[in-house]
Amino acid sequence: MTPAPLARHILSLADTKRLLGIRYSDWLLGSPSIETGIAASSMSQDEWGHARLLYAMLKRLGFDPFEVEHERPAARYYSAPALDHPFTDWAHFVSAVVVVDGALSVALESFANGKFALARSRVPKMLAEEEYHRRFGTAWFSRLAAAEGEGAARLRDSARSMLPTTLAWLLPGDDAHDTLVADGHVWPEDRVRDRCAQLLEGTLATVGIDLGAVEPARDGWDSERRRGPGAPAEEAVERARGDRNRDLFVE
Amino acid sequence: MSTGLGEGVYEVFARKRRGEPLRHIGYIDAPGDELARVYAWKTYDEENWFEMCVVPRGAVIPVNRVEGPWAKNVPEEADGP
Repeated sequence: MTPAPLARHILSLADTKRLLGIRYSDWLLGSPSIETGIAASSMSQDEWGHARLLYAMLKRLGFDPFEVEHERPAARYYSAPALDHPFTDWAHFVSAVVVVDGALSVALESFANGKFALARSRVPKMLAEEEYHRRFGTAWFSRLAAAEGEGAARLRDSARSMLPTTLAWLLPGDDAHDTLVADGHVWPEDRVRDRCAQLLEGTLATVGIDLGAVEPARDGWDSERRRGPGAPAEEAVERARGDRNRDLFVE
Repeated sequence: MSTGLGEGVYEVFARKRRGEPLRHIGYIDAPGDELARVYAWKTYDEENWFEMCVVPRGAVIPVNRVEGPWAKNVPEEADGP
């Protein structure tokens, strides 16, 4: 069943944050320094905390948060396609912080300035925490880009691979999203594009990517899940649902 | 150009409330000022800090002692405490 536009939007934000938290958590060990691993750990916790708050908003819309968080199969996840599979290397991680986390921040900023009261009250604190993710991503991206060679090439390739589907996730351009815009829950597309350009354009240009020339990849668009085809890897969703600890749930 | 001891190490100072003195709470390794700010905030996040600052270790000049982590920052013309 296709959820109402507002519920679909919240699910999309929450699932993307939950998957992003899992992908960040894969790098708690193995990142370039202890401090970097600690930052990745903290960012992972931020994403999971934000996801929790977003899932809780769905209760107001008649959803059972437990079912939403712990019962859905991967095929019913609404997360951004760029997070379907683990990051392949550190450059991929850094690109995801800039591209996916950056897009999430724009989406949240738009939502925080809309008419949904829970978003107006709860999202600003998320955005304050996201500011450190942005600084982390921008600093690391600039550092790898300046080094040129293999690192910069991998950075460029991973950012290029994630941008088209992530832009489609940010700018669905379908009827349900148009309804959200018309109802004043989110910014219209041109404002989202402007904000996205403001935050990401300069950083991406350091590896030769022209953000304005990237087209959203909407082939095979799934209007129920507000994303393109595919689904997150089952292993990641098992972790997101907490399958191994199911017998220990105390909620 | 190498700056000797302290390159990449930042001392972290913080206070919990307005009006309290800044106190030294630890250090972090970082490849630049911007990541030092992020790493310090993410590493020492056990408190709800009112204010946090980082200082490159190489910028800390000892006043009365000539040993310890900042010993190499003693100005050459110094002839003792």
